[in-house]
Amino acid sequence: MTMSGIASPPPRHRRRKQSGWRGLLYIAPAMALVGVFFILPVLFTIWMSLHKWPLLGKPAWIGFGNYVRIVSDARFLTALGFTAHYTIIVTIAIFAVAFPLAIFVEKQRPLVSAYRTIIFLPVVVGLASASLLWVWLANVDSGLFAPRMQRLGLTSSRINLLADFDTAFLTIIVMVVWKIAGFTMIILLTGLQAIPAELTEAARIDGARRWQRFRYLTLPLMRRTMALALILSVTGSILAFDQFYIMTSGGPQNRMISVVYYIFNQSFVSFNLGYGAALSIALLAILVAISIFQLWLLKVGDERP
Amino acid sequence: MLKRLLATTALAYALGLSTASAETISMWVRSGIGDSFKEVVKAYNSAGEDKVELTEVPFSELVQKYATAIAGGQAPDALSLDLIYTPAFAAAGQLEDLSDWAKSLPYFNSLSPSHVKLGTYEDKIYGLPLSVETSILAWNKELYRKAGLDPEKAPKTWEEIAANAEKIRALGGDTYGFYFSGGGCGGCMIFTFTPLAWGAGADILSADSKKATIDTPEMRKAVDIYRNLVAKDTVPAGSASDNGVNFLTFTNGKIGQQSIGAFAIGTLVTQHPEIDFGVTLIPGVDGKPSSFAGGDNFVVTKGTRKLEAVKKFLEYTYSMEGQKIMAKYGSLPTRGDIAGEVLEGLDPRLKVGIDAIAVAKTPYTLQFNDLINSSNGPWATFINAAIYGDDVDGAFSNAQSEMQSIIDAGQ
Repeated sequence: MTMSGIASPPPRHRRRKQSGWRGLLYIAPAMALVGVFFILPVLFTIWMSLHKWPLLGKPAWIGFGNYVRIVSDARFLTALGFTAHYTIIVTIAIFAVAFPLAIFVEKQRPLVSAYRTIIFLPVVVGLASASLLWVWLANVDSGLFAPRMQRLGLTSSRINLLADFDTAFLTIIVMVVWKIAGFTMIILLTGLQAIPAELTEAARIDGARRWQRFRYLTLPLMRRTMALALILSVTGSILAFDQFYIMTSGGPQNRMISVVYYIFNQSFVSFNLGYGAALSIALLAILVAISIFQLWLLKVGDERP
Repeated sequence: MLKRLLATTALAYALGLSTASAETISMWVRSGIGDSFKEVVKAYNSAGEDKVELTEVPFSELVQKYATAIAGGQAPDALSLDLIYTPAFAAAGQLEDLSDWAKSLPYFNSLSPSHVKLGTYEDKIYGLPLSVETSILAWNKELYRKAGLDPEKAPKTWEEIAANAEKIRALGGDTYGFYFSGGGCGGCMIFTFTPLAWGAGADILSADSKKATIDTPEMRKAVDIYRNLVAKDTVPAGSASDNGVNFLTFTNGKIGQQSIGAFAIGTLVTQHPEIDFGVTLIPGVDGKPSSFAGGDNFVVTKGTRKLEAVKKFLEYTYSMEGQKIMAKYGSLPTRGDIAGEVLEGLDPRLKVGIDAIAVAKTPYTLQFNDLINSSNGPWATFINAAIYGDDVDGAFSNAQSEMQSIIDAGQ
């Protein structure tokens, strides 16, 4: 693969010092926002995680006690396992739906902007509102699916979709794909549109078939875009909470407790803010590690595109 | 500049205090306890000088919302707190000590004793009874009639309830014989389901609350009764995922029998006059009835500046007028000395709620939220797994070990 057609930028050695200060000035507002709304809260969370910090009453310093507890916390490990399971399935599902959609709406065809808008619409619905909407859709008595399936004769009686793990999980996956796929589609669409038409045409003249063009041209050129979409999707899925909290309250027999749900429960149901903070820091570390791994896997940041 | 600003603020503050003849108290109440308290507030606001600003908070989130509000300095002046939480909040030092004032009330000794007991921590009184509620069994007389049952004959055993449920279900359509919130609503089920075991003398916690004792023959029998009701298709499928939102499904008129709270009597009478219903005590697995004595305590946030106004409002609630309004909307009288007078002329079914107090229990544990009420706690999980799951033995052993580990961790 020798696609490198972009010339490297001219050296800017002399100007670097001066523009360095100006650059800092330009990013100062953004840095201030990040400092106040990200770095300070993280530091405070770390501080809290070193305490036994009840929601009511006085905190007490316990050093790394909370972190020691994490290692042997079976329920946290279960939550991690469920979150991983969910993340893998939902990410595959989102890409399986979003990629064909992106290819579909990329080509100029009649009504293409109408299709794009329709597919993108669920994205602008808040996740909590979407969850509530689907709670109603999946309601066994007054909803849409169960009574409709019974009337069509697909099921002999009304099935309570949210009462059984498999059907409830499936409902949530379908809801999340419906909600998120449009967003992933837009990201992938920008990647597709960034591929120069000449390249595809040249490949076609060289006799590459449709699948070969996709496999050896489109996919490699979309690596950065896919990395972005993948990281957004994986991060979002690992932080999933609303849908489980609203749609199943943790699922039949607690089988849908995601990591964030567990942190929420520890902090605001059991009132162990300190332990919740420690879990949050552990989750942050896991997320950073996964993101670095993904960037490495997709070789984003290398000089070659 | 800053000094001047501070001075102005201080001045405004002082003026505000001296001219405040009519105060506005902010108060929270949990949802799902009927309208009795809201109606008292309405009457107080239209009559008195002071105003009570009422915020309704979902019952499943009240504790964490209040705890967060205290931490954030946004707590209301007073709230109607589920009585089982009073010891935990008092122990955390978040509530105002009301001992002296409470003991000076002429009717102090006739206030609901279980409420005062739970409102007392280390010999100081932090909570006073606001509403009393017991769990009872309601049946729909209209559906009894349609199913060919005697509408005036209250069911006395679970065999009877199950048989009636099947007959009512036989009416077909979306008419069902029985209902319960089985989808992880620990609060609903401790209220309506444990009386089955309590009536037979078993309990889910030891007397000192240090041992989980969920796996008893009585509880197994109770679970069997509910499993059987589900297996015979007498319970709507929605029950399996109802986390408490549809606790009052009985009010839709298509449920033959359901264990509900005495508050619901008021709701049914005032908002669903079309439903013809009877109430009776909840039978235990061997027929001996029992009930859960619940309700709310009135607690005051520590350090509120409106203590006097809050006291004035509570005194109004305890007056004959206040008690009558509460009772009319389904809260049982909190003052024993005037209970007879208060209930005079009101719906006779409320008397069943009063009778239930004699056989009722209230669990006492500082970990009620973790053990019972949390929708991901062991009790809520147990209910769903034991009644709807395939592995009853597993449900029992999991609940037993998890409850015990939570109790041990809290020691």
